[in-house]
Amino acid sequence: MGIADVLIMILIIGGAVYMLYRSLWKKKGHCQGCDSVACEKKQL
Amino acid sequence: MSLELGVKSSELRETKRKTITVAVAGNPNSGKSTLINAIAGSRLYVGNWPGVTVEKKSAMFEYEGSKIKLVDLPGTYSLSPYTQEEIIARDYLITEKPDVIINVVDATNIERNLYLTIQMLELGIPVVIALNIYDEAEQKGYRINTKAMEEMLGITVIPTVATKKSGLNDLLKAATEAAANPSRYAPKQLHYSEDIESAATFIQTHLNEHHSSLQKRYPMRWLAFKVMEGDSHMMKEAGLDIDISLIEQATKHLTRAHGDDIESIMADERYAFAAGLTREMVKRPEIRKMELTEKIDKVVLNRFLGIPIFLAAMWLVFKLTFDLSQPFGDWIDGATAGPLSRLAAKAITAVNGPLWVASLATEGVLAGVGFVLAFVPVIFAMMFFITFLEGSGYMARAAFVMDRAMHSMGLHGKSFIPMLLGFGCNVPGIYATRTLENPRDKALTALLLPLMSCGARLPVYVVFIGAFFTTHAGTVLWSMYVMGIALAILMGVIFKRTLFRGESPMFIMELPPYRMPSLRNLLIHTWEKGKHFLIKAGTYIFAVSIIVWFLLNLPWGVESKKDSYLGKTGQVIAPVLEPIGFGNWEAASALVTGLIAKEIVVGTMAEIYAVEQEEQEETTVSEDIREIGASFTAAVGDSIRNVFATFGVTSISAEEDDSVSGLRTVIQKAFTPLTAYAFMAFVLLYMPCVVVAIAMKHEFGTWKWFGVAFGYQMVLAWVVALTIYQGGKLLGIGI
Ligand SMILES: Nc1nc2c(ncn2[C@@H]2O[C@H](COP(=O)(O)OP(=O)(O)OP(=O)(O)O)[C@@H](O)[C@H]2O)c(=O)[nH]1
Ligand SMILES: [Mg+2]
Repeated sequence: MGIADVLIMILIIGGAVYMLYRSLWKKKGHCQGCDSVACEKKQL
Repeated sequence: MSLELGVKSSELRETKRKTITVAVAGNPNSGKSTLINAIAGSRLYVGNWPGVTVEKKSAMFEYEGSKIKLVDLPGTYSLSPYTQEEIIARDYLITEKPDVIINVVDATNIERNLYLTIQMLELGIPVVIALNIYDEAEQKGYRINTKAMEEMLGITVIPTVATKKSGLNDLLKAATEAAANPSRYAPKQLHYSEDIESAATFIQTHLNEHHSSLQKRYPMRWLAFKVMEGDSHMMKEAGLDIDISLIEQATKHLTRAHGDDIESIMADERYAFAAGLTREMVKRPEIRKMELTEKIDKVVLNRFLGIPIFLAAMWLVFKLTFDLSQPFGDWIDGATAGPLSRLAAKAITAVNGPLWVASLATEGVLAGVGFVLAFVPVIFAMMFFITFLEGSGYMARAAFVMDRAMHSMGLHGKSFIPMLLGFGCNVPGIYATRTLENPRDKALTALLLPLMSCGARLPVYVVFIGAFFTTHAGTVLWSMYVMGIALAILMGVIFKRTLFRGESPMFIMELPPYRMPSLRNLLIHTWEKGKHFLIKAGTYIFAVSIIVWFLLNLPWGVESKKDSYLGKTGQVIAPVLEPIGFGNWEAASALVTGLIAKEIVVGTMAEIYAVEQEEQEETTVSEDIREIGASFTAAVGDSIRNVFATFGVTSISAEEDDSVSGLRTVIQKAFTPLTAYAFMAFVLLYMPCVVVAIAMKHEFGTWKWFGVAFGYQMVLAWVVALTIYQGGKLLGIGI
């Protein structure tokens, strides 16, 4: 496998890991109601 | 009265010109969220039971050139600081000082609602009453004299029907007008008995003299009441440190004369006033007929029939879900495996990409995501029925019926609300534990919640049921949910005896009347619940299927998937699963990736078992697209036929699609009905998904509870699967 393959692979895996991090951690798994305030901050 | 108006400082008026903040407050289940949705076109969660909204939420919209921010508050019966809902609502009204309050009053229940209204008037913020659910009040034959109500309370009263969007324009006009002229719309206030008033004046004078800085922040008369009541939450927040003897001096003759504490005395007076007001304003018909709601409840809440009816209702839901959605699942599945993967491959050859990228796109993404997508119709069907049960009012009964069973074992009935939400997705359920006052109840509820079978587990059930239990599909599916509930009760009892000793307070839930949800609302809220699963498929399930593909194909050039990284991991874990019936590396690796989200279990299996597509005849792009369209039309027909079949015409045979049977045949080889059932139970129980873990961390501020949940669920899942497998083997069932 050539350099190009390795590069593409790293790009794809990197993108996938970033997407995982973003949607799971940052967006709290996009749970229902998280678009509004529910998951943003704790009230109490 | 004029004192309170001092609250409106000039700076507040400045910001007001930009946006008018309207707080929507009122009793639980009076239609606040429905009203906001109707006005602003938002999609706040609505359900026919008290306690749906647990958190303040807002919706923005424009009205006659000005921006209006509507704030939905949790429903409360009073503004005393005893429940989290009350604290959230009260803190908002006091500290954020909205420009106007829309007090949503349930017209069928005026007396109880007015108690809160009276408290609200004391806050010195203009109030407009939305006399909501007016349609039902009229139906019952109530005649409400809104003019008299306006005069007695000194505020505008607008009859509304939020579900039919009627009265909204008048309401908005009244609200914006009141916000613009707060002094003209200052509400009247209840005059308590002389004793109370003079005590309040005494304290208020003291506050004005010694704590004059508070005048900017609080309505002083109200603050004086709070001091008299000994409201420590409020005093702490205001930073008030008043000599107890002073309060006693002001109130001692009162408590002595009435033999009660100040708070109760004042509450009594408010109740009396509300009752008097209601008597004057509302004319009820002389003869009261027994209402439909009461008739239904006589049966549904029956001591002996209650639980069987609940179980039967659930069974019907699962049966319908399965039958209705099966053809659509087959369709998406066929489309992703056949024409769509051909299209993907064509696209990649067209841009001249490397061959392995084509394999990643088809075997990885299309198999992984596509297989999860195949179950979106099932999930939507399920969410539709859940939404229907919520909207009709039956869910509240289910909670009531189960509560009676659970309370005897020491569990808190209020925990049921988060658990009900958990059937859609566990995550909102975790956030909803916020309403539980007692930290122990809160943690316990969060621990048990993952046992409620959420939508994400459906795909796993459906694949295995499709492979092994087609004749009893509904029943097997139902048994999974019942198993989850039964184990939650069992674990609750165990936890109560060990980790969480102590009594739970009694919880009394008000049962709403039955209502027919409108189709429009049903569809909107079904979409709101189900859309989450679509977003998931497009984001992290997509990401995971890519990673899984690499894990199955690395190290580079690996001969068989068994020797790949994922395969090796699976082989390490497999022996642990041996005694419970599925000690193969495929199942083990699918369970590992399923830790992210449970749908991924089937996605990974689809990737592992991705059967090489036999060379199909050459097709053109437009042929592929046409094929997708044609099979969709067929699926709609099948789905409709299936629903009729449910009601007893003929039994349905699951459509044998080539690609589906691809995975099904492999699974049929790898599992037996018995091991399949054990596997389903394991997936139900084995651990909360990562998103739930994050939600728990977020809600409790520590990983501790997730750790506990993880630990006990792993053990529970293993023990249950072991019991099923070994028990079944002994009895010779389904081997
Ligand atoms: N008939 C009728 N039903 C209504 C009306 N407004 C709301 N409802 C129904 O009342 C129920 C409760 O509505 P919600 O908007 O969830 O009530 P809420 O006040 O936000 O309740 P909480 O969030 O629990 O405090 C739903 O089933 C609505 O469909 C109305 O004007 N007429
Ligand atoms: Mg609400």
